[in-house]
Amino acid sequence: MRVNLTVNGRATAADDVWEGESLLYVLRERLGLPGAKNACEQGECGSCTVYLDGTPVCACLVAAGQAEGREVVTVEGLSRGDAPLPGAGPAHGDVSGEGLHEVQRAFLDAGAVQCGFCTPGLVVQAHALLAEADGVPSDADIREALAGNLCRCTGYEKILDAVRLAATRLGPPP
Amino acid sequence: MTTRLFGEPVQRREDPRLITGRGRYLDDLGAGALAAAFVRSPHAHARILDVDVSDALDVDGLVAIYTWEDLPGALAEPLPLLIPHPALTHGRTAYPLAREIVRHVGEPVVMVVARDRYLAEDACALIRVGYEVLKPVVGLEEAAGGAHLVHDDVPGNIGAHLVQEVPGPGGETAREAVDAAPHRLEFRLDVERSACTPLEGKGVYARWDADDASLRVYSSTQTSTSVRMAIAAKLGLPLPKVEVVAPDVGGGFGVKIVHPWPEEILVPWAARLLNRELKWTEDRREHFVSSSHERGQVQHVRVGFDDDGRLLGLEVEILHDHGAYTPYGIIVPIITSTQLLGPYKVGAYRVEFSSVYTNTVQVTPYRGAGRPQGVFCMERTMDKIAAYLGRDRTEVRAANFVQPDEFPYDQGLTFQDGRPLIYDSGDYPEALRMLKELIGWDSFPEEKARAAAEGRRIGIGVGCYVEGTGVGPYEGGHVQITSDGRVHVSTGLTSQGQGHETVFAQIAATELGVPIERVSVVTGDTRRFGYAVGTFASRAAVMSGNAIALACRKVREKALRIAAEALEADPRDLEITDGMVHVAGAPSASIPLATVAVLSNPLRYAFDEEAKRATQFAGPASDDRPPVAEGEEPGLEGRDYYSPVRSTFAAGMHAAIVETDPDTAEIRILRYAVVHDCGRLINPMIVEGQIHGGVAQGVGGALYEKMVYDEHGQLLNASFMDFLMPYATEIPRIETAHLETPSPLNPLGIKGAGEAGVIPVSAVLAAAIEDAEGIPIDRMPISPSDLHTLRRSR
Amino acid sequence: MDFLRPRTWAEALDLKAARPEATPIQGGTDVMVEINLDKGRPAALLDLTPIPELREWSREGDVIRLGAGVTYSRLIGELEARLPGLAQASRTVGSPQIRNRGTVAGNLGAASPAGDSHPPLLACDAVVEAESVRGARLIPIGEFYTGVKRNALAPDELIRAVRVPVARGPQYFSKIGTRNAMVIAVCSFSIALHAAERRVGTGVGSAAPTPRRAVAAEEFAAARLDWRGRSPLDPDVAGRFGELVAGAAAPIDDVRGRAAYRTHALAVLARRALGWAWADFRAGTGADSSAGSGGGDDRGSQ
Repeated sequence: MRVNLTVNGRATAADDVWEGESLLYVLRERLGLPGAKNACEQGECGSCTVYLDGTPVCACLVAAGQAEGREVVTVEGLSRGDAPLPGAGPAHGDVSGEGLHEVQRAFLDAGAVQCGFCTPGLVVQAHALLAEADGVPSDADIREALAGNLCRCTGYEKILDAVRLAATRLGPPP
Repeated sequence: MTTRLFGEPVQRREDPRLITGRGRYLDDLGAGALAAAFVRSPHAHARILDVDVSDALDVDGLVAIYTWEDLPGALAEPLPLLIPHPALTHGRTAYPLAREIVRHVGEPVVMVVARDRYLAEDACALIRVGYEVLKPVVGLEEAAGGAHLVHDDVPGNIGAHLVQEVPGPGGETAREAVDAAPHRLEFRLDVERSACTPLEGKGVYARWDADDASLRVYSSTQTSTSVRMAIAAKLGLPLPKVEVVAPDVGGGFGVKIVHPWPEEILVPWAARLLNRELKWTEDRREHFVSSSHERGQVQHVRVGFDDDGRLLGLEVEILHDHGAYTPYGIIVPIITSTQLLGPYKVGAYRVEFSSVYTNTVQVTPYRGAGRPQGVFCMERTMDKIAAYLGRDRTEVRAANFVQPDEFPYDQGLTFQDGRPLIYDSGDYPEALRMLKELIGWDSFPEEKARAAAEGRRIGIGVGCYVEGTGVGPYEGGHVQITSDGRVHVSTGLTSQGQGHETVFAQIAATELGVPIERVSVVTGDTRRFGYAVGTFASRAAVMSGNAIALACRKVREKALRIAAEALEADPRDLEITDGMVHVAGAPSASIPLATVAVLSNPLRYAFDEEAKRATQFAGPASDDRPPVAEGEEPGLEGRDYYSPVRSTFAAGMHAAIVETDPDTAEIRILRYAVVHDCGRLINPMIVEGQIHGGVAQGVGGALYEKMVYDEHGQLLNASFMDFLMPYATEIPRIETAHLETPSPLNPLGIKGAGEAGVIPVSAVLAAAIEDAEGIPIDRMPISPSDLHTLRRSR
Repeated sequence: MDFLRPRTWAEALDLKAARPEATPIQGGTDVMVEINLDKGRPAALLDLTPIPELREWSREGDVIRLGAGVTYSRLIGELEARLPGLAQASRTVGSPQIRNRGTVAGNLGAASPAGDSHPPLLACDAVVEAESVRGARLIPIGEFYTGVKRNALAPDELIRAVRVPVARGPQYFSKIGTRNAMVIAVCSFSIALHAAERRVGTGVGSAAPTPRRAVAAEEFAAARLDWRGRSPLDPDVAGRFGELVAGAAAPIDDVRGRAAYRTHALAVLARRALGWAWADFRAGTGADSSAGSGGGDDRGSQ
């Protein structure tokens, strides 16, 4: 079947979609957006977290057809697309990343990334937390908000640091 | 000065791509490649009777189906036994696809190739494999009983048996020392299975270039160089025709050091055979049932000690569960046996292990690699001695410490690298002092009493370890400065999130005096560096870090030599700052490294302005010397290797305070403190991250994670829903302090840090729970349900 | 496989009548897991997310009519004061991402004994509103669960809504899992004090093939609590209540915990929950004890 949806602000369509396919598969395999990651396919790890109509969800648990006519934002859509980052591949790595969202910048500054596989999901979920938060969220609130995102590398401490840092920099909501 | 970056919390250079979704992991590559999927054994132990693929042939998009019968030459042989050892008398490895017998649930039997993964799995579902089910061997003691065999030709299921013995100071055996000691204790300890469980599973993607007769393979591996050699050998290809690249790797923790995985040779083989790009990405259930597990030991301990708690003799018998196969040899129980000693002098020591086969997933190293079991054993022993003597637990430990003036300290054993177990440096009394201060050890009794008055149960525990890091044989580094002034660093070992691109760039920037922005680092790509061992055993910083530093020193020396000539100065008077070579104290007499690079490479052709300056007619050259002087090479580059005599020994001590619910037996960690000594720190932010992550995995192993097999050998909790890894809600803040006792063994004075965090956590939490509950905790992990059972049975 | 995408409720009922084997999908938190892990491949998926009225809730007298598409997140955000037990249970469901998609109706459809919604629905005397082209019917929650992962819905029926009485007294839900987050309950318990009727409602989860009430415990507590004088809870009464709740369970040993632990923990949870609820009752706090005149919207939609 064909599925029409808006991804990162751009109207698009995926063809030959199998009826039992997930939104995650559509994004990764049919739309060329591998940012959201597949680590469990059962909503336990949060690595595939994306916005669906403004709400963070596990893309692996959304049937592709359920995304028809809806709006999806992935980690690729959080940074400014017109400022390509240096280092397109694993071999490079200039740390001058223009166009980063505050949440992404805070992950960078706090050292909140190790292998990076869970990071796209965590960035989206942290982004969602801060979009709702009034000021710097409490430690307990951050932990609770991130309690659907597994990270096997960091022990979460520097991720919590990053969320607090981003919240501080973003300041109170207008 | 911005180039002195060694020791600074420099931001990670990997991160811009990883936080924006531009990292490229295995499954992000190869869009449009064919997909492989596997039919895996549903039985723990069975004979394959027949394989019927007829229904699968109807699947539209099916490309190929392979069984063991289809495999040619070396591919049809068992997988390599990577680390042979004289004590491993009955090493056994699997075939890439099962031949006649399957020995654990999840063993691959049939490989299917199709247009996409869905179709490949559809075809798998239609393939019918006939089995004669055999009696499965599950459970360590059942296996050691030997009533049923995993391998017909391995009597008693014993794959390996090793005894190591160190006599006491008076030449007495451990048995004699224990028997003669004023006090003796005897007990049993159990550690259950766990697994690395990186968020990204394994994966392989192969591209065969028929015109060039060459193969490029991407693998989510901890050792691309060795995967390359294995593929070349198994496929009968000349080594230069095979390249292996580790792209971004989503965590490893040990499981990806094992190689070649069946898929790592089957996928390239089929890609060549079909002349099509082919990819396989492991799914989560596959990772649980067909990669590796670890931990899994039963230990019997006899210890003798004096009135001060000083050890006089220690005897440990270990039963180690090796699962169905031993591709990685007996590294895990060897490490348990040797690293069990920790920071202590134990008097006479005897350790004996038997490594037994069971019809379960094979056991290979998981972060810590046998140390968590050894430290659990030793630290539980220390606590039991303290309890027996009524002494403070830290006092008993301190009484047994190797002292700072006793280094190098020879434990008298043979370590995992076949070298003597000699500790190079450390300061254990200071580490303990720091830890006690950090956690508030001395004031805890009052805290505990206050809590008790409120009806709350809290307890404190401590655990110490020594970790041999940076094992050989070697790693290398290559450094090239190009005429644009950029520095290109490569090393053969791989990265799985440790920040190698950053720390190696810090080392290079510091050694060469260039801004880090000009340094780029490539790891795990055999096209760039072909000689390497791999990333495991907390060795990357020690091994490649030092190799890169040595390579940089070569390049620096050459740069100074060339610059000295250009500046008409003595090279000994030159310094490099911010990429400029200049005379010390006279910054105006300078030349950019970029220009030095130009001068280092005499050219005939001027393809740009820089090149023009290096052509033969550009500058004054002496007619009586060749353009490239004798003994010189063109270009500003250098390569060097670091090969240590033996491992360097990091150490650490952890303490935790826990609370247990008197009614529900729920366990909560209130505080967790770490003192860590990995020699000189290259990047404290990265080291802290490694420690935090290790502790988190340790907490998982202590409280949540285990592999639950039923009597049929079925893994009952093979998903993230039931294999409970910790989330942010489970891991407390980790309070960390660093002690730096440099290693005298390597130029940078560093020690490994990758595994450290995980090592003592089970021991520490067991001690804290024991302190809160007053019940001996001799088995880990422990759940509320387990604690409830213990309470009822006391 | 077919993907059926009705635009209206009537169309959904027609499709379900024509294709009774179609699996309704809402948040996907159960259905997609089954498909992703190849545990079953439904002949068709019937997507209920496009139907606007399912995403609505409304107050009808003393009852909240909770549309089948109202997510846990919205229930927590919009109905916590009126359905405190169910809201507490909703907070413990999965993760934020799961709560953003999952629904009470989906939990009912899956009918897992470990589903977090079930104990408060039992404690609150909820009613499931099922509908088919043949008409609508109301199924009392006590009759809804018919076996492990089985429920009373006919093959052509869909859940339209769940009717949950507005709390008339304190309500609590608690569960025990090995881990804090994202955990499937080792056991769970919910209590509702129906103060006006001097009645106690209970629900027990993860401790029997189906979620169930602990009727003997309810009757014991109703008789022994000092409703008029609001005197403090007798610890013996609380303890006995816990035992009776545990006695209603029929747990098993599995990877999540031992039966003996489940029974023990259930008794503790029940004793504590009664203590908290009674303390609220005595203090005149807790949910909506003013019997429904409290503030808040009377409907919500998305």
